Amino acid sequence: MTDSTESPDLQRRSGLRRLKEGTYGGFFAACAAITLLTTVAIFATLLSDAVVFFAEVPIIEFLTSTNWSPNPAGGGQSFGIVPLLIGTIVVTVTAAFIALPTGTLTAIYLSEYASPNARSILKPLLEILAGIPTVVYGYFALVYITPVLKATLFPEMSTFNALSASIMVGIMTIPMVSSISEDAMSAVPDELRQAGYGLGATKFEVSTGIVVPASISGIASSYILAVSRAIGETMIVVVAMGAQARMPAVGETLFGIPYFNPADVLLDSGMTITVAMVQIAGGDLTGGTIPYDSMFALGLALFVVTLVMNVFSDIIAERYREEY
Amino acid sequence: MATDNANADGFGEVSRVRGILFEYLSLGASVAGLVALGVLLVYVAIDAFDLASASPGWLLTYFLTLVIPFLAFCLYSADDSAVTRRVLVVLAGGLVAVAVIFTAIEAFVVTIPRLSWQLTYLFVVVAPATAYLAYVGSHGRVGAVGFGLLGRLVGGTAIGLAVGTLFLVFDELVWFLAYTLGVLPAAALYAYGRRRDAGRAVTAAIPVGLVGLVAAVFLRGVVRTYPSDLIIYLWTLAVPIAAVGALVVDARGSRTAAVAAGGVPLALAIAGGFLAGNVGLPGPTTLIVIALTGVPTAIYVHRVVDVGDGTVGLGLPLLLAAGVIVGALVVEAWGVPAPDPWLDVSYVTEAPSRNATEAGLYPAIVGSVIIIALVAVLSFVLGVGTSVFLEEYMPETGVLGSLTRLLQINIANLAAIPSVVYGLLGLGLFANLLGFGYGTAVTASLTLSLLILPITIISAQEAIRSVPDDLRRGSDAMGATRWQTTKNVVLPEALPGILTGTILALGRAIGETAPLIMIGAATTVFSAPSSLFSRFSAMPMQIYAWAGFPQAEFRYGVVAAGVITLLIILIGMNGTAILLRNRAERGS
Repeated sequence: MTDSTESPDLQRRSGLRRLKEGTYGGFFAACAAITLLTTVAIFATLLSDAVVFFAEVPIIEFLTSTNWSPNPAGGGQSFGIVPLLIGTIVVTVTAAFIALPTGTLTAIYLSEYASPNARSILKPLLEILAGIPTVVYGYFALVYITPVLKATLFPEMSTFNALSASIMVGIMTIPMVSSISEDAMSAVPDELRQAGYGLGATKFEVSTGIVVPASISGIASSYILAVSRAIGETMIVVVAMGAQARMPAVGETLFGIPYFNPADVLLDSGMTITVAMVQIAGGDLTGGTIPYDSMFALGLALFVVTLVMNVFSDIIAERYREEY
Repeated sequence: MATDNANADGFGEVSRVRGILFEYLSLGASVAGLVALGVLLVYVAIDAFDLASASPGWLLTYFLTLVIPFLAFCLYSADDSAVTRRVLVVLAGGLVAVAVIFTAIEAFVVTIPRLSWQLTYLFVVVAPATAYLAYVGSHGRVGAVGFGLLGRLVGGTAIGLAVGTLFLVFDELVWFLAYTLGVLPAAALYAYGRRRDAGRAVTAAIPVGLVGLVAAVFLRGVVRTYPSDLIIYLWTLAVPIAAVGALVVDARGSRTAAVAAGGVPLALAIAGGFLAGNVGLPGPTTLIVIALTGVPTAIYVHRVVDVGDGTVGLGLPLLLAAGVIVGALVVEAWGVPAPDPWLDVSYVTEAPSRNATEAGLYPAIVGSVIIIALVAVLSFVLGVGTSVFLEEYMPETGVLGSLTRLLQINIANLAAIPSVVYGLLGLGLFANLLGFGYGTAVTASLTLSLLILPITIISAQEAIRSVPDDLRRGSDAMGATRWQTTKNVVLPEALPGILTGTILALGRAIGETAPLIMIGAATTVFSAPSSLFSRFSAMPMQIYAWAGFPQAEFRYGVVAAGVITLLIILIGMNGTAILLRNRAERGS
């Protein structure tokens, strides 16, 4: 009997140990479940109030009306998403004009031209651009960019305008484009580059003719992510773009095709979907009112759009990736 | 035939110019955003510190007393004549170049508002040169010692202030009981068990601690008399910190050094705590700050002196302090006109005001610290739990494997949802459905935790994945269970990476504004929050509110000071994260 007590007792308190193992495993599973629950909760929260909203305001009116005035005090209440969509699209497209070319060129420079030393300095510095709080960017746009643009290029610009906000959104999204694109470009095998050089191509031709086409799926998916980020961007536009939901004046060309004058939209204030949500939340949050519910309808629209874009970006990155 | 000829001409023709142009174009694109941000930051710094009205004499004074000694210190530490020559050339050449170019632009092109060539020289030449030299100098032993000491002083002060802030909201009496009845006995049992190799004592530590905590909450309502705040802080925070410091030194060196390392900071802290009231400082916070700066400093000084290499570097804080004092004396004595910065002591210790010169950020800073503390705990626990589950517990193939993939895709999508939508989640779920209230610190913390959870999880997963599989297999071969492997092998190895990712994610949380607006956080509160369920404001909320003020003093002064405060805190957090990562990389 003494022998058995001196040898290690492997069965000792195995029940307690199993309980301990199970407890920890269960705790970790619960943590993971919370991430799934978050998605469900977001969807349920948005949907439950949006349904109430759409019972009051028909969905057709919501999607087609060109007037957004949720405040009941200001006369006729109207919930049309069109002016908000125009505002969002204007900001997103302008920001994309800045972020996409700059980001792509940055990615090319980092992956093809930069020395390892320069890369190790530039990459973390670029991440800073994405790490600055967006409210600070909005402040920059309002207090520094707008006065400079007003004094130099556009004297007729208003204090709150879409252009400065879009410039800042563009600068903020540069690192999204550059880091994902650079990952895709770095994944292009060196054999392809060597083959290009072997055929007598210059570095420029290898970069633009071989590396970029070979990593085009990654670049495209980075574009979509950056645009989706710009759509959801809130504080920059809230601070710098003002809060006036307006339809730009529609002109007609010779052939009867309607168009917007871009200067008219960019130099004046406007409203995006996100600004409309913030404006309602900044006022009254008692719940149960139509403006309160309309926030959730807008949130649902935003959620669906960004979700679709992300899934789309994933699909592009997966489906069209060149396997080497 | 014409086209053929054109093709034939183009064949083999290599445009050198085009390649060079493209290289510089892409280089320009890479730095364009950074340059833009840099210019904006320079301007916001000028506005926050009122540097535009700083006289050249004032700038020169501090340049001579503060910047030059610091540069000299770094050069001494680097001990490299090439670096010295390069820096001197840049500083001197830059002076001439900036002065000439700036004057030329002012004279012929356009006047540059709120910048003088002296300021431009400081920001364009001196600041980068200082950063470069600090980097080079920190690789020398002397510089490493100096920066290490400086980091402990600054970090200890920051943590001490944060702890003091947390007790504005958390009941220090509950903490006193919990520490006395739960934490202290449990720690004692654990230490005893470890030392005597008694597994039973170690196992008993957790239940004993839990019983103590429950008893503390229960007794809080029963016990009537408590010691003063100062005694509580001394007993529950300063004494244990000093004890730990003494133990650390004891493990390395002599008994007397250990007593000194624990005792001297403790004595200083007690003295500071009791005397602080005389100069109008809060005693308990002073006590914690001195304890938290003093003990790590004492440990560090002991180690440096023990090693006996680079002890000169310990003088760096003295050098900087002397520079500030001498500079102030010179400015005072010669009546050099000094700027009146918006960001000063009263700005961070006073409440907001309609009057720009009296406006302060204090309640918003307290709000931010409290939220971030809660978010840190929540997102760390949830993030580590989820990533351990995904990496260690779930298989990659089979039915469960597809569940893993589903979770993974879900997390990636959560990371891309706009923050304003998370605000709606917080409003609908936490504020309304669960009744935590509009704009309370609890609602805000829960919302922000969910917001940064995906980022935390993804970085924690990367850290866990980078732990070599050999270590796991080794642990398995010793008969360890899955949890034992995770606890003893995986988590300790992955911890620096996890912490780095969590701190970076917290940096995102501290600047988030949109979700806070959505849950109804106050834009302006005039007193610091007193409980987790009181209305609060946060730094970005206050900045947002002030940015809407039309007065120039707010737009260009008060808000700029707020932006700089927020950015300094962000830089501090991210700097800590990067230091952690570098240390971990060096270790492995």
